[in-house]
Amino acid sequence: MTVRPPTLRENRRYVLARILPQGFSPDPKDLYYAIADAVTSLWGDDAASRIHPAVVAVENGHVFIRCQRGFERELLIALTTTATCGGGPVALRTVAISGTMESLRNRLKSSPVPPVFGPGTDATFDQRQCTVEYCESQKIDVVEKGFKNAARFFLTTEDLEDH
Amino acid sequence: MTITDTGLRPYPNGDSSIRRMALEAAGLGFDSLVAIGIPPADYSGITVREGVLIGNIPAREASAAVKRSREGTLVMVEAGDNGFNRAMLGVKGVHVLCGIQNADRHAFDHVTAKMAADNGVAVDISLAPLIRKRGASRQKALQRYRDVLMLSRKFSFPLILSTHASSVLEMRSVREMSALAVMIGFDLPEVESALACAGSASFGTGPVRVIV
Repeated sequence: MTVRPPTLRENRRYVLARILPQGFSPDPKDLYYAIADAVTSLWGDDAASRIHPAVVAVENGHVFIRCQRGFERELLIALTTTATCGGGPVALRTVAISGTMESLRNRLKSSPVPPVFGPGTDATFDQRQCTVEYCESQKIDVVEKGFKNAARFFLTTEDLEDH
Repeated sequence: MTITDTGLRPYPNGDSSIRRMALEAAGLGFDSLVAIGIPPADYSGITVREGVLIGNIPAREASAAVKRSREGTLVMVEAGDNGFNRAMLGVKGVHVLCGIQNADRHAFDHVTAKMAADNGVAVDISLAPLIRKRGASRQKALQRYRDVLMLSRKFSFPLILSTHASSVLEMRSVREMSALAVMIGFDLPEVESALACAGSASFGTGPVRVIV
């Protein structure tokens, strides 16, 4: 299939969304299925075909999502309803919308996700033995040690000190 | 205007501490939070107000629980059948009727709407079913919310937009909540007043005084 000339191509927009929990980098295919499910279940098959969402890239804890121009609002609302990905809880927080990937990448450079600090450090929270999974300034995510109930807790550094 | 998220369930009911939720809320554009069972405090510049959620008990026990609640707490009552809702709307000290999407179809009608307006009781529009549920249950919630919105426009009782988040992953930004509310059918002034309702100084902090 030959590439269409620019004037005949579909106009597209790109959405940059932050993936939560921090440090979780899902498989792009799983993320696509989660977003496609959110779009289809909220707006229906007809609207989903018009929105035409696609996961372009997953970089630095962010996802680049492509859609048809004019359907950004519908995509953003659907992203709000994305709650699971690959069987685990996830949230997508929209950061920016642009007509090009390049400008979103510039945006990503201007607000980079800080590097993971102290993963694997032992911590105690409410008499639970935990391991630090992610730490960014005051925010700290810990995972409870154990075979069965490896629950993830979202805390601040003060919470660890208090307990 | 104080933008407030209502009905949060921090640790031990959820997986996030109240400090972390307040930190997230500050980044999401909120000024205050109402958290169930958490003593009032200020964290990261966010005012946290205590909320009490009363539900799944008979009307007599529920009204006793309302009377037992401390001054300054936001008293939220889980909606039941029509008789229960009428009884609870008449109880002094009830601030919010929530869980209307789980109640039966006739639980909130024009009579209860009029009572809510007369007593200044707000009806909670929880965005949690729109975020977490799919299919018929989400459609039911959307139908119910549109019906409540129509009654609110006619009888002028206050509405509250909330996420009822038990995790930071379930919290949504003010912009995202506005977008979901607009999808339900709210217009922008209605969204603003619904987000500001729980945080307004005159709501749920004491008896209404008539100043002539």
